Parts: sequence; C-alpha cells; structure tokens
Amino acid sequence: MGRNIKIRPANPWLRKHPWAPYIFPTAAVMLLLFVVPILFVFVISLTNYRLGAEFSQVSFLGFSNFLRLFSGEESGFYYSIGISVLFMVLGTAIQLVLGMICALLLNHEFKGKSIVIACLIVPIAMTPSIVSQIWKLMFHGEFGVINYFLKAVGGQGVQWLDANHAFLSVLIATVWQYTPFVTLMLYAGLRSLPESPYESAVLDGANQWQLFRYITLPLMKNLIALCALLRSIDMLKTFDIPYVLTQGGPGNVTRFLGLKIYDTGFGEQNFVGRASAMAVILIILVSLISLILFQVMNKSRES
Amino acid sequence: MSRSKKKRIGRIFLMLAMICMCMLSIFPYLWMVLVSVKERVLVYQPEVWFFTPTFENYKTIFQVHDLGTYMVNSAIVAVANCVVSLVLGSLTAYSLARHSFRRKESFSFFMTFIRILPAVASVIPVFVIAASLQVLDTHGLLIAVYMLFNIPFTVLMMRGFFEEIPREVEEAAMIDGCSTVQALLRVVIPLAMPGIVATAIFCIINAWNEFVYAMQLTTFSASTVPTIVQLFKTVTGVVWGEMSAVGTISTLPVLVFAMLVQKQMVRGLSFGAVKD
Repeated sequence: MGRNIKIRPANPWLRKHPWAPYIFPTAAVMLLLFVVPILFVFVISLTNYRLGAEFSQVSFLGFSNFLRLFSGEESGFYYSIGISVLFMVLGTAIQLVLGMICALLLNHEFKGKSIVIACLIVPIAMTPSIVSQIWKLMFHGEFGVINYFLKAVGGQGVQWLDANHAFLSVLIATVWQYTPFVTLMLYAGLRSLPESPYESAVLDGANQWQLFRYITLPLMKNLIALCALLRSIDMLKTFDIPYVLTQGGPGNVTRFLGLKIYDTGFGEQNFVGRASAMAVILIILVSLISLILFQVMNKSRES
Repeated sequence: MSRSKKKRIGRIFLMLAMICMCMLSIFPYLWMVLVSVKERVLVYQPEVWFFTPTFENYKTIFQVHDLGTYMVNSAIVAVANCVVSLVLGSLTAYSLARHSFRRKESFSFFMTFIRILPAVASVIPVFVIAASLQVLDTHGLLIAVYMLFNIPFTVLMMRGFFEEIPREVEEAAMIDGCSTVQALLRVVIPLAMPGIVATAIFCIINAWNEFVYAMQLTTFSASTVPTIVQLFKTVTGVVWGEMSAVGTISTLPVLVFAMLVQKQMVRGLSFGAVKD
C-alpha cells in the first residue's frame, strides 16, 4: 500500500484532475489548428485582404463582403450552395443505402470473404486527386472505357463530362470512392450486434424484413447516424474530385462551394476577403447540419 | 420451390453480387495499371486489351518527374503525423473512456465537430501564419497541419477500443505495483493494439491522400504524391500513361499495408457505436 501512495501525483491539483495531462496536449493542438484559423477566417472575411497584400493596404469593410454575397452580386454563389447541398443529400443517401445493402450481403458466411474486403479497401486507399484523373479518362466521350462498355452491350455513348452529365459524373466518382468505407463501417456494426434478440424474434416467427426493420435498424441507429454525419460533412466540403475531374465546369455547372471559395481566394484575383466570407457561410452550413445530426444521435442514445 | 433449391439460388445471387462488388471496386485501379503499360497511341483505344506492354512511363516518372522524392515526402509526412496523432489522440481517447469529468461529452462532441472545418477555408490562415514563420514547404508544417483531422479521428476510433478493455485488468496491474503510467504502457496499450493498428492505417491513408493543404503549402521540397496531378496537366492535355504509372506506384504502399491489417481495420470501424 505504501508504494501506491508514493506513485500518486504529488501535485494536489493533478490528483483532483487526473484527466488533465491526457486531454490538455490534444486540446492545445486543436486550439492552434482549429480555433485560431476559424477566428482568422472570420476576421479576414470582414476585410478586403488579398493574398500577398501589405497589411497597411488592408482595410476593414464591415459586413459588406457578406452583403455582396447575399444581394446576389457575386454571380453563381446561390447556385454553388444549391448544388453543394443537393450533392450532399444525394451523395450521402446513395452511399448509406448502397453501403447498407453491401454490408448486409457481406454479413453472410461464405468462402473468399477476405478477398471481397480486400477489393473494398482499394477505393479507400486510392488518392482522390489521382484517381479522378483516371475517371476523367474513363469518362471520355470518344475513347473512354465506360462508353466502350456501354456500346459493347448495345447502348449509346454518353458525353459524361458535358453540362448535362458533369454533376452525375462527379457523383459517380465520389460514390465509388467512399461507399466502401461506409460498407465496412456498417459491416463492422453488424458483426458486433448481439444475437439474442434475433433468436427470440425468429421463434416468434418474424421474417427477414421484420428482423431488419425492427431489430437491426434500431440497434444500428447510432452507427448509421455517425456514418451519415461523417459522410455529409465531407460531401458538403467536397473539393478534390470535382477540382480534378471537371474544374467546376463545364462553365460553372459543377462549381461546388469549396471550388468557388478556392477560385475566389487562390484564382487570378486572389480576393481572400471575399473567399473568407464564403468560407464562413460554408462553415456555418456544415455546423448546422452536423448539429442536427448530433441531435439525432443523442436522441437515439437516450431512448 | 423446395427449400434447398431456394437456398441454392440465394447462394448464387450472393456470389454474383460479391463478384460485381469486387469488379466495380477494383476496376479503376486495373484500368490504371493497363493504361500505364500502354503505348501513347493505345491509350485512346479502349478496345485493345492485348498488346506488348511498355515500361517507358515508369522510367519517365522516376527519371524525369522524380516520383521518388514525392513518395519519400509522403512517407515522411504520413508516418510522422500518424505517430504524433496516435500518441496524442490515444491519450485523449483513453481519458474519455476512463475518467469522468465535467463537460466530458461536450469535449468529445467538439472533437468530432472539428471535422467541419473545410481545408479550403483554413488553408488561408495557415498559409499566412506559415509564411510569416517561414515554414512554408517543409515536412514539419504538413505533419502539424494534418493533426487537425487525424487526432479527432484517432479519438473517435480509439475511445471505443479503450471502453472495451475492462477496468479490472488495470486495477489488477496497479495492485501488483504498477504505476498508472506503467499500467497504461504494459497492460492497456498491448490490449488496445488491434485498435491502434487499425487507426494507424486510416491516419496514414488520410495523410497520404490529402490534397488541398499539400497543394497550397508546398512548392517542391515537401510536395507529397497527390500534388503530382498538377504536373501532368500539360497544354496538350493530360499525359495519361505517365499519370497512370504514378497512380499505380503511389497507391501500392498504402494498399499493401492495408491488406496486411485487413482484419483489424474492419473491427474498429463500428466506433463502439453499437451497444446493447
């Protein structure tokens, strides 16, 4: 016992707050990497700062960057918000549904399962910016392999990267890249489900659909919500894939909010102030959506 | 229809679905490998499946474009960032699993919430600050910045693992005379090893593939693999063969590592969110 007393922290404050040394380093790093940049962006969004400008040339504009955005003076801003939100809703929904179907199929016992999982890891491991270049080649209207397959089965070639299909192409590439992660996440969840509720439900004569609807789904609710949360945040912030695949084009058809911010801040004009104002809007938008999903998660945890 | 027949049809359907899933998942990679060994003219002929492979593209990317340097940069950044993120993130996750303190769940919420910060937004302040500290285009900068997403990911994933380890194991170790730190190092960490390995591979994938910060904060000496796409956008169009060769090579290290730890990778992904 005497030994036990000796190894206790000498500092009385530390004895009362044993968690402090574990939490503080992380908290400090996050303060530096999250809080400081976010405050910085808020401040810049109120100025006319341009990249490379002397600080003496920077002047304070109040909310005029924001007024400019809301008045519709910045062309295509509302459009960017619209397609980003649409992309998030569609993309997240497709990934969740497809991911759930794949996970349920994967949850059967069969030979060669590790091969299937190995294949699913390939999209997860591939670099989005590089694989988007490959998608660009595969989507090519004339000599893309996708149209080659379509024609081989008697279909017609599609101009995948024209104004009518560019959004769809970005969506396809994104769904391909991220659905395997959702699948593995939900599969891991299915593996850790308890067996007893299923046994008693089967005795009561429940069919497969009822088992899924009344046992699997409620038990998985938290994980599904977490999955939806992670995916919708990332979808709303989407950048790499459209940046390489379509550069926001043709025209502005796929200029998602992330691309719009990038072009305004780092393009020819370097309007960092204006870009920051858009970034503030994006941050508020993502925060709202994640707060809603957090609420859903908390509710399902309580019930 | 008899029961066994129905079952057999189900099996066949399942196998077909699995084959489809595999093919769809790996096709872009296979296509990339195929294009990387094609002559330049053949790239535009998807109907040609059989040809004499050429390795010119691989020669060019290493000799002319210096892919080796990019790979080394990526490896330095990914591994160093992964180690730091794992140490700091695991400590925090451990504390969230074991200690109880005021606002614990708020802090945990905040850690997940950090993900909302878009790289295109925070890259501006980071650029300005890094420029004034004269650390642009250094490995250290990327290693530090990537903690922004890898520490929260580690905390999210490791908390579930630590919560699965019964407290009694640690208490037994402490009764045997271990200090808190010793119990953590000798008992808890070894038990949490599968989780640490799984988290490590995801941290490495995240850092290896990150694009926005890498593109804006580096010019050459610390440039990582994803930024290489910039090089192949020439005036005459993308040099597909070389691009594909880059993709084929640069994905390999991560892919091999991921395959080795496949089992652990899947286990950790339920994030401890399914409980009865």
